Amino acid sequence: MTFDHETLVAFSKSYGLFYMMGFFAIVVIYAYWPSNKDKFDKAASRILEDEQE
Amino acid sequence: MFKTHEKLERSTIGFAVAIMIAASIGGIIEIIPLFTIDETVEDVPDMRQYTPLELAGRNIYIREGCYACHSQMVRTLQDEVERYGPYSLAVESKYDHPMLWGSKRTGPDLARVGNKYSDQWHVTHLNNPRDVVPQSVMPSYGWLLRTELKYDDLDRHLAALKKVGVPYTDDMIDNAVADAYGQSDPESDQASGVFERYGDDTNVRAFDGDRRKLTEMDALVAYLQIMGGLTDISQVQTDDVNTVTKNISGE
Amino acid sequence: MAMFLALCLGFGGFFLGVIGQGDPIGVHGYLIAFVGYLLLFLIVHSFYSPNPSPKRVTRYFDDPTKAGIILAMLWVIIATFVGDWIAWLLVFPEATFDAGWSSFGRLRPVHTSGVIFGFGGNALIATSFHVLQRTSRARLPDQLTPWVIIIGYNLFCLIAATGYLMGVTSSKEYAEPEWYADIFLTVVWVLYLLLYLRTLKRRKEPHIYVANWYFMAFIIVMAILHVFNGLAVPVSLGHAKSYSLFSGVQDAMVQWWYGHNAVAFFLTAGFLGMLYYYLPMRAQRPIFSYRLSIISFWGITFLYMWVGSHHLHYTALPQWVQTLGMSFSIILLVPSWASAGNALLTLNGAWDKVRDDPTLRFMMVAAIFYGLSTFEGSFLAIRPVNALSHYTDWTVGHVHSGALGWVAMITFGSIYTLVPWLWGKKEMYSKKLIEVHFWLALAGTIIYVFAMWNSGIIQGLMWRAYNGEGTLAYSFIESVEAMKPYYVARAFGGFCFFLGTVIGLYNIVKTIKSTDLELAAPPDKEPIVHSSDALTLQTAE
Repeated sequence: MTFDHETLVAFSKSYGLFYMMGFFAIVVIYAYWPSNKDKFDKAASRILEDEQE
Repeated sequence: MFKTHEKLERSTIGFAVAIMIAASIGGIIEIIPLFTIDETVEDVPDMRQYTPLELAGRNIYIREGCYACHSQMVRTLQDEVERYGPYSLAVESKYDHPMLWGSKRTGPDLARVGNKYSDQWHVTHLNNPRDVVPQSVMPSYGWLLRTELKYDDLDRHLAALKKVGVPYTDDMIDNAVADAYGQSDPESDQASGVFERYGDDTNVRAFDGDRRKLTEMDALVAYLQIMGGLTDISQVQTDDVNTVTKNISGE
Repeated sequence: MAMFLALCLGFGGFFLGVIGQGDPIGVHGYLIAFVGYLLLFLIVHSFYSPNPSPKRVTRYFDDPTKAGIILAMLWVIIATFVGDWIAWLLVFPEATFDAGWSSFGRLRPVHTSGVIFGFGGNALIATSFHVLQRTSRARLPDQLTPWVIIIGYNLFCLIAATGYLMGVTSSKEYAEPEWYADIFLTVVWVLYLLLYLRTLKRRKEPHIYVANWYFMAFIIVMAILHVFNGLAVPVSLGHAKSYSLFSGVQDAMVQWWYGHNAVAFFLTAGFLGMLYYYLPMRAQRPIFSYRLSIISFWGITFLYMWVGSHHLHYTALPQWVQTLGMSFSIILLVPSWASAGNALLTLNGAWDKVRDDPTLRFMMVAAIFYGLSTFEGSFLAIRPVNALSHYTDWTVGHVHSGALGWVAMITFGSIYTLVPWLWGKKEMYSKKLIEVHFWLALAGTIIYVFAMWNSGIIQGLMWRAYNGEGTLAYSFIESVEAMKPYYVARAFGGFCFFLGTVIGLYNIVKTIKSTDLELAAPPDKEPIVHSSDALTLQTAE
């Protein structure tokens, strides 16, 4: 390892937060993107179809 | 961007990899810094390894699941320091593969139990806890006194520990079996070697009261009596318990 | 092929038995050998049975699921019995017959592993096979692998449980099995992952249903955790004993990184997979918000990994790691409650069904307990709270509100949904017995959790209480004495829960055996299997 302890700790303390916020934003935007709505609704009800036929 | 996620969902392997990456980040960030440094662990010159007999006792402690009810970690809280003794330092479990900090105190913490009670007390207590503490809910371990310790393979145990980083010397490994015997029989020829290899402060005595027989009780009591005693570092901790509540490590 | 594997198992076990003479590993060797030869016998025996219909490859393959469900029920009975037994040991400590195997320390991992891996693991593997095939509309790619997984996994559980009785343990909580069992499980687990991926590749649905996401996170992350936490150097090939690669503070972090994520990905993600399939199916309503399920999935997958260090507050672990663990534990409440809310909102509008159907009620109560125990978990992760609660029975109560209230309830709900489908019956043998099981389980859980809250908080307060002179008010043994009534109550609550599981198994067996519940036509539509797939299937077997 060429990194020393201080660098790693500083990285751990800062990067974690940004990474989490970015990650959260991406997931929320994806989940609530209007054009995806249809697909999700279909996926949610698809599992029930067998039994209803 | 959303096409990417869509593809991800459709490609099974890609999805699996995404899970792996998302899940790994937290572990990597928290754990890696603990390995790159020796600063998490204080440097103490007087820290010694477990003797073969103490190690055998530790293995009995693990075998019987003592860690399920006894912790070995005095936290940096005032009442704990007053009840059990100086708070535990990271260095004190440096040679513990694995650590036995524990997670539950159905019984009291044992990190500082070494030399707190006599050998005889431990033997009686382990044989039947209610003989000395009437309200105790601890099981009896009567067979420890009746079972002879299996110690002919302790050299291989030391060798395995050396592989994972405990600094046992070749001398220690070669004499492990003799040292195990010598530590519980002060009158034997093997006893002197224990002092030579592990220091003059090492407990050498018939822990179970009978020096002719090396029992599992000998080993377990030897281990209990060395708890918190591998290094003196904790004794130099400040006596002013009010400062103790402030955490020592980190920032 | 199956014969070859059984032979390998037989010889491998025999080899281990011979080199491990005089060590517990030798006993395990012969045990493995015995299972190997038994399997060999069964396989040879099956050659004499009539050839199965070639049409089977156009259907779902559910036999391993059936076996897994029965095994899960057997394990839960054994494991809750042992759990209740050791609960009584804390009231009557003399009841150990002066023998090693029966003491608290050796029986405790039998209970914990039996419940988590024996019951939980079998239930997860069984239901994941079922959900995977239905939501993918594809049959499992071959017949051998699922059986290897089920049998191999249970052999692992058996080795683990018998090992604890002999004192074979690594002492790593919730990962006690020694190196040879760990290696064996790793092989089984990789096969499980590959089977999952292979089946998903064959799916006829474009979208992977969210339940499978959870199951996949469960399989993948458990593999990573298991391998890293288990790294150790054995004393020799003939010794069961090994020494962990990690020591002290690093080992503590690795162990709780494993320990808490076993809770996250075994006891949470896996069972959420169950919830996201069987709850909508039983209620006959799609999940309330599919979008929310996506958000909580990534939230849980990402956040849980950070929180393990909250088990180590005020210890010798560096403080920044403790703070990080605490912060993420609190944030984690968001995706957890998103899942719990999503489940309950799915039931919104179907409350009449919940009232009349004990199976659905099991699932609803599970979702409530999931919400409660995740809240409690975040709360306990706050450092000052943890200062009081850690090392006390409060933690034990918290774990059981999750394990009994969430994990076991969602599993029973799913099993009661699944059993009639699998065995082609109209419904369970007795709805009344499900009702009895439900109330026993709920009462048992509540008694247990309340007893532990009380005892835990009293313990914590007694340990830190000071008297007028500024010295500690109570000796440790006084706190032990004060626990007695709560330990009796806890053991009683545990007994109720145990009784419920016995009734559950009886009901399931009766359902399977009954002839008047038989459905005229099998419930499942045949999956669409391309002829080319059918061909490869046959050659593979």
